[in-house]
Amino acid sequence: MCDDAQLRDTVLVSSQQFSVLTDMLFRFLTEPKEVERFLSQLTDFATMNKISLGPLKNIVNSILLVPSGALKRNLSSEQVRADFIALGLSEEKAVYFAQQWNVNSPTLTRLAVGHTLMINQLIDMEWKFGVTAGSSELKKVGSIFLQLKLVVKKGSQMENVHIELTLPQFYSFLHEMERVKTSLESFS
Amino acid sequence: ALNPLIQIVKKDVKRDWPQNQALGNTACDLLPMCNAFQPSRAFSPLPFLQLVSALHNLTRHVVYHSLMTAEEILSLFPENFHQNLKNLLTKIILENISSWRNEAQASQISLPRLVDMDWRVDIKTSSDSISRMAVPTCLLQLKIQEDVALCGSSPVVSALTVELSKETLDTMLEGLGRIRDQLSAVANK
Repeated sequence: MCDDAQLRDTVLVSSQQFSVLTDMLFRFLTEPKEVERFLSQLTDFATMNKISLGPLKNIVNSILLVPSGALKRNLSSEQVRADFIALGLSEEKAVYFAQQWNVNSPTLTRLAVGHTLMINQLIDMEWKFGVTAGSSELKKVGSIFLQLKLVVKKGSQMENVHIELTLPQFYSFLHEMERVKTSLESFS
Repeated sequence: ALNPLIQIVKKDVKRDWPQNQALGNTACDLLPMCNAFQPSRAFSPLPFLQLVSALHNLTRHVVYHSLMTAEEILSLFPENFHQNLKNLLTKIILENISSWRNEAQASQISLPRLVDMDWRVDIKTSSDSISRMAVPTCLLQLKIQEDVALCGSSPVVSALTVELSKETLDTMLEGLGRIRDQLSAVANK
């Protein structure tokens, strides 16, 4: 998992600097889209502390593996601390990291759950309803129709599905969906 | 020209006509009907086709204009038409008019129609990114039938399975609730 040799480089970083680095890391993990921001923060950190960027990036890469492994294995903060110490980090740094892990793990867990595989995820639903006035078979109709457009994510593409429902179908659909909601709620 | 033919086959017509769903839209729908009648009488196909075609036009006219009373239908026949046959035909039409209307409505052009739906609720317990969780999720299967008019006698039904998270379902129910409210508002006007 972690490269011992690279983690041992962290001795080059003081406890205080390590804390700053840890904070930056967790801020990035909880906002994974802010890649640019994270990289510029790293560069600033390297310049300010007179550490070359190369080794710093190696350290960061190694440390980044820890939270994802901890999520996969459902580790407690105590176990994270123990892991870090086993890998050669000082007690102080390990404790600080474990504390930050404790604070941030709910957010990180929620993000990981959000990335879990979903089949044909329903993204959006648009609807309209109206009255059929007439047709080629019947001069005057006056029946109500309901049209739904479902936006479904198939793989990486969005697919639009158009469906038409009669009124009785709509009411039974609504009834079934309310049953689903009750079922989902009883499991939360 | 149709009268002699109609007189002879009127019994067959009364029995078979309503069941043959006399609202086929295209000429090719009439042929199977003709073939259904043919075995019972030794007629040349052309006059028979004319007979069936005439009956078909009559029923389409009645359904299109929603003629619901005997007087309206009787007035369609020419003056010297055979009295008993006229009454018999009118009676048959009146008996079947509402089911023909319903069928016309059911088979009109439309977007793909929902024909069935099934659902199940799963609990996700683990994944490649997180080893322990308990996240309920819903799988919804919609059976959708393409436009009946395009498919003829063998409609294409496709199944779409969609996954919904609890949040998505809540949003969807909100939308469906709004539809229901608007429908009641329209119905109450």
